Amino acid sequence: MAGMAPEGSQFDAKHYDSKMQELLHQGDNEEFFTSYDEVFESFDDMGLQENLLRGIYAYGFEKPSAIQQRGIVPFCKGLDVIQQAQSGTGKTATFCSGILQQLDYGLVECQSLVLAPTRELAQQIEKVMRALGDYLGVKVHACVGGTSVREDQRILASGVHVVVGTPGRVFDMLRRQSLRPDHIKMFVLDEADEMLSRGFKDQIYDIFQLLPPKIQVGVFSATMPPEALEITRKFMNKPVRILVKRDELTLEGIKQFYVNVEKEDWKLDTLCDLYETLAITQSVIFVNTRRKVDWLTDKMRSRDHTVSATHGDMDQNTRDIIMREFRSGSSRVLITTDLLARGIDVQQVSLVINYDLPTQPENYLHRIGRSGRFGRKGVAINFVTRDDERMLFDIQRFYNVTIEELPANVADLL
Amino acid sequence: MRPILMKGHERPLTFLRYNRDGDLLFSCAKDHTPNVWFADNGDRLGTYRGHNGAVWSCDVSRDSTRLITGSADQTAKLWDVQTGRELFTFRFDAPARSVEFAIGDGLAVITTDNFMENVPTAQVKRIAEDPDDQSEESLLVITGIKGRINRAVWGPLNRTIITAGEDATIRIWDTETGQCLKESDKEQGHQKTITSLSKSADWSHFLTGSLDKSAKLWDTRTLTLIKTYVTERPVNAVDISPLLDHVVIGGGQDAMNVTMTDRRAGKFEAKFFHKILQEEIGGVKGHFGPINALAFNPDGRSFSSGGEDGYVRLHHFDSDYFNIKI
Repeated sequence: MAGMAPEGSQFDAKHYDSKMQELLHQGDNEEFFTSYDEVFESFDDMGLQENLLRGIYAYGFEKPSAIQQRGIVPFCKGLDVIQQAQSGTGKTATFCSGILQQLDYGLVECQSLVLAPTRELAQQIEKVMRALGDYLGVKVHACVGGTSVREDQRILASGVHVVVGTPGRVFDMLRRQSLRPDHIKMFVLDEADEMLSRGFKDQIYDIFQLLPPKIQVGVFSATMPPEALEITRKFMNKPVRILVKRDELTLEGIKQFYVNVEKEDWKLDTLCDLYETLAITQSVIFVNTRRKVDWLTDKMRSRDHTVSATHGDMDQNTRDIIMREFRSGSSRVLITTDLLARGIDVQQVSLVINYDLPTQPENYLHRIGRSGRFGRKGVAINFVTRDDERMLFDIQRFYNVTIEELPANVADLL
Repeated sequence: MRPILMKGHERPLTFLRYNRDGDLLFSCAKDHTPNVWFADNGDRLGTYRGHNGAVWSCDVSRDSTRLITGSADQTAKLWDVQTGRELFTFRFDAPARSVEFAIGDGLAVITTDNFMENVPTAQVKRIAEDPDDQSEESLLVITGIKGRINRAVWGPLNRTIITAGEDATIRIWDTETGQCLKESDKEQGHQKTITSLSKSADWSHFLTGSLDKSAKLWDTRTLTLIKTYVTERPVNAVDISPLLDHVVIGGGQDAMNVTMTDRRAGKFEAKFFHKILQEEIGGVKGHFGPINALAFNPDGRSFSSGGEDGYVRLHHFDSDYFNIKI
């Protein structure tokens, strides 16, 4: 049995924990967070306006989930919030409700800006926001890249209450003054640690600088490493925080397995062996590069397996069609990159395959969280080569989870 | 038996109902669109578009021409089964929950939830033969029940209505006077929310499922408890076989807790019990979320289940099922 992961490696639990302790309990920063411990066991008790309640119940919600019990009310009171909760446990409805409660529906100007890392996720959030806000007459627009700039400008000019977007397009609209920030009083980052990571951080800064100085900020994610938490101090004002310990982040409801494929070249045969099982319900297969998505898709199709695929290099119309087909069940096996690791909620997904283990540690949790969503069990299977054994071990220790060898009767798991 | 997986809903199932002839299966879900399927091969026949919220239940008329649906968008709607055309909308101030046509299809009972200051109600509407003559008027409004009414159904000869719900109490109401005639015994009866109710083919008895992990069989006229079936999971759905002395019970852990516990804790199988002997005779696995709906085909030779996972599963029984010895 090997010892702890080496100092400074990406799964260094000791470093993670000590850094987290430092951030949460620094003497001179003791006042950085606000305490808010109230729990509301029904939506009716939260003081929400009637038409928002109608929207919540019409959506089919009956009782608030754990994050909703704690998270909706502080957001509604205008407090900055940092909210972390396991995958698929209701974070989107939490910030959507918080935003909808505070909008001035008589003012058809953008009052709330929500940023998400991918176009698919932004569109999904827009759909939930629109559904919950239906009785309120909310006007919400998804402002994402790959769509018509002129159309975005036209819609924004006609007036919306909420914009949900990806950073690139939103910044472009702000820069062109098609989106005016004057009335924006709520700013939400979904998948916040991704949004504050190297890839997006500069864009977020650029956008934030264009927003009014007094603004409520909400950050949401299933993973909130100390690096991301540290950055929030720069632009948040005494936030209410709901955080989950790293070893409580995985969901027991997602059964995790590994297959020892030994060599990279043998992964394809292993996947083909599993294909019959994959197609029973709906499955997502994650690989690490766009080129590899294309390669694997071609290989699977050449072996007469029906698969669909999506990644960031594909044109937006194609991405939308593939996503729609996958959601409706027309296609059942989807090969993709970490583009879809975060946030995407498709009802019938019950199996995730990590054809490649993720390069970013947090994405392990996000990927397997595409199955095992609210009310559903899931299964995750990791393909492990000899080079991957170390990382698999690190993941198990870091997230306090057991990843067993895949049994022969995998179909019984689904 | 190898199930037929029916994919047509993008959110959790809430209710299943066969028509009287057993050739059509209607499904409702939290997406806004009820579906109708061929009950032998599971092919989707059509959808009913018009609701703007989760659809909690439905019923179909005896001659399979009319469908009624109750929705969280605070309406119940009448539809033409064949064309999918929306015929009428009943509007309420609270989510509509349970709907059922009366014998003769001239009446329907619709329940509304407690919402804001509205108390839960069961309302009787006249169903006009000609949709142009349809009116919103309630012939009877039953109140006085605490907590949501999850299910309201007609009693024999339309003389009574049976209600069951959140307060764990079953009540029988006189449809002429609106009086409560009987209440289930507090000690013998369910201890937690009653989630589901299903009548026997001859309406002489009915089965209720509850979050107290049991299902109970009751005499329709006297509200006497006949049998109790104990399971290890909260019960969301129940049905009685029209052919054999069997009942089917399904449910599973509360949807909110499913992802937080190990797979074995879910208990998503549909369980079959012998109606008279109260013994479990078998189970059917497959769903990866709680079962929210169950229905036997009126011919007793197949059954369907609907789950939180968004699937409807259609099972045709093997010949072995008809020869089970206990």
